[in-house]
Amino acid sequence: MRRASVLVGLDEALAAIGDGATVGVGGAVTSAHPMALVRELARRRVRGLTLVAPTGGIDVDILIAAGCVETLVTCYVGIEGVAAVGPVYRRAVQDGSVRVRDLDEAHCIAGLRAAAQKLPFLPWRGGVGTSYPELNEDLVPFTDPVAGEEVLAVPALNLDFALLYAETADEFGNAQPLGTGNMDLLLGQAAEQVIVQVDRVVANHEIRRAPEHTWYWRDARVVRAPFGTHPYSNAWMVADVEHLQGFAAAARDGGEPLDEYLRDHVDAADHDSYLEQVGIRRLASLLV
Amino acid sequence: MASADYSLNELFAILLARDLRPEDRTVQVGANMPMARAAAVMASLTELPDLRVILGLGVNNLGDGSPAPLVHPFVFDPRSQVGEALMVQETAFADARQPDVFFVGGLQVDRRGNINLFGIPDGSGGWKLRGPGGVALATMSTNCRGYYIVMPNHDARTFVERVAAVSALGDRDERERLKLPGGGVRFVLSPLGVFDFDQSGDMRIRSLHPGVTTAQVQEATGFLLATTEDPPVTATPTPEELHILRTQVDPDGTLAA
Repeated sequence: MRRASVLVGLDEALAAIGDGATVGVGGAVTSAHPMALVRELARRRVRGLTLVAPTGGIDVDILIAAGCVETLVTCYVGIEGVAAVGPVYRRAVQDGSVRVRDLDEAHCIAGLRAAAQKLPFLPWRGGVGTSYPELNEDLVPFTDPVAGEEVLAVPALNLDFALLYAETADEFGNAQPLGTGNMDLLLGQAAEQVIVQVDRVVANHEIRRAPEHTWYWRDARVVRAPFGTHPYSNAWMVADVEHLQGFAAAARDGGEPLDEYLRDHVDAADHDSYLEQVGIRRLASLLV
Repeated sequence: MASADYSLNELFAILLARDLRPEDRTVQVGANMPMARAAAVMASLTELPDLRVILGLGVNNLGDGSPAPLVHPFVFDPRSQVGEALMVQETAFADARQPDVFFVGGLQVDRRGNINLFGIPDGSGGWKLRGPGGVALATMSTNCRGYYIVMPNHDARTFVERVAAVSALGDRDERERLKLPGGGVRFVLSPLGVFDFDQSGDMRIRSLHPGVTTAQVQEATGFLLATTEDPPVTATPTPEELHILRTQVDPDGTLAA
């Protein structure tokens, strides 16, 4: 018997995500979002997703624009330095087409950890006395049975899928991110299945050179998508600010400019077509 | 505040830097606040060489002479991983003793020092105006030794009697009742002055920037300020402070713009 490879194509990786799934997306602010996975998910026009995006950006905006999102669990959606608030997200929340469940970043961590540990909830103090429990009825204020203090019960954030990014992995699902990891390890631990997008697939003996950097999950698929965090950064590439500005302008306008962005950059036949659309000169200029 | 000698953001940076204290061992600066970032870097270059400054993904200490990070932009990418340690989001809240201090902006601040970053709810479960989200303000404001509120505008829509939604609880009585461990709001900065809170926890004028009158501030505030008869004038930046700020902290002139 041979050890099974979990290396799959983009299409195969996302085929399992059906309408109504709860999907976590990793990365933070301008770095390490698994954008190739996000674009493929948007291209498939999956419906009714509950999207868990702790510190989201245009990943959230693209999925909302493609009509995939029903409920959004988040602490922040913006395009750092380009748009203070994600334009598509703002419009969708204001017109009521997407419901948002607000969480503090630490609530997100507590909820994911509870899910990872098969607990119903974990307690947290931050948010006591604020509007969080009114804005998100999942958060339940209670009096702690030990010291009698007021705390919040943060319910388990159970995910069906976590879409994550790492710079490198082997074909057996051993991922080695080179960044700071954000909440990604935990998102994976809270999920039934992890899909991890990488720039490089390396041999297992390469992974063994630095086992202290390896992340693994019970059930993971690996998808190779070079430059796949674009327009966001990874350890070898800075964010493409010009592209983000172009997206923000289209997103603010909505309508035809946003549709055009989706046609050109999301509905392009595959990841390679997307990279062709961006262009080799632009991609090369982003490498550090 | 009208002066050709320094910009508003330079004044903000210097007022914040002056107020940081030796017991502030770790300071965290969030997104979109170059003036706060400059304040933390300036303090660490001058009075507080032991200060650890968390900017983006990196933890910096400048006491060993390492180069000061740029005031702007706030990037979460390889260029920001230049510190002596890394900030990992998943474990950032595992140690509630850190950071000691952070800085917040807000859509609204109210008489009791509460801050709103969520937006304006429509009263029936939706939103009239949606902000970016509460990031980690609720947790940071609960646990930190102290925090500063920096408001880029001062008018009756931003300084309100009661915020439309509370992202961070500033109200001193409520904080005490709920036994929140942190020290709460240190002061509020606006283009018109510096504000703190009186014995009963209501916002009052601590000082007014040069040329600003009490009547003018009251006019621009959506509630009655608890005030002294003749509030002092804000101590303006010294030539030495401006020199350090412009040569060592912000040589690109981000704050001066």
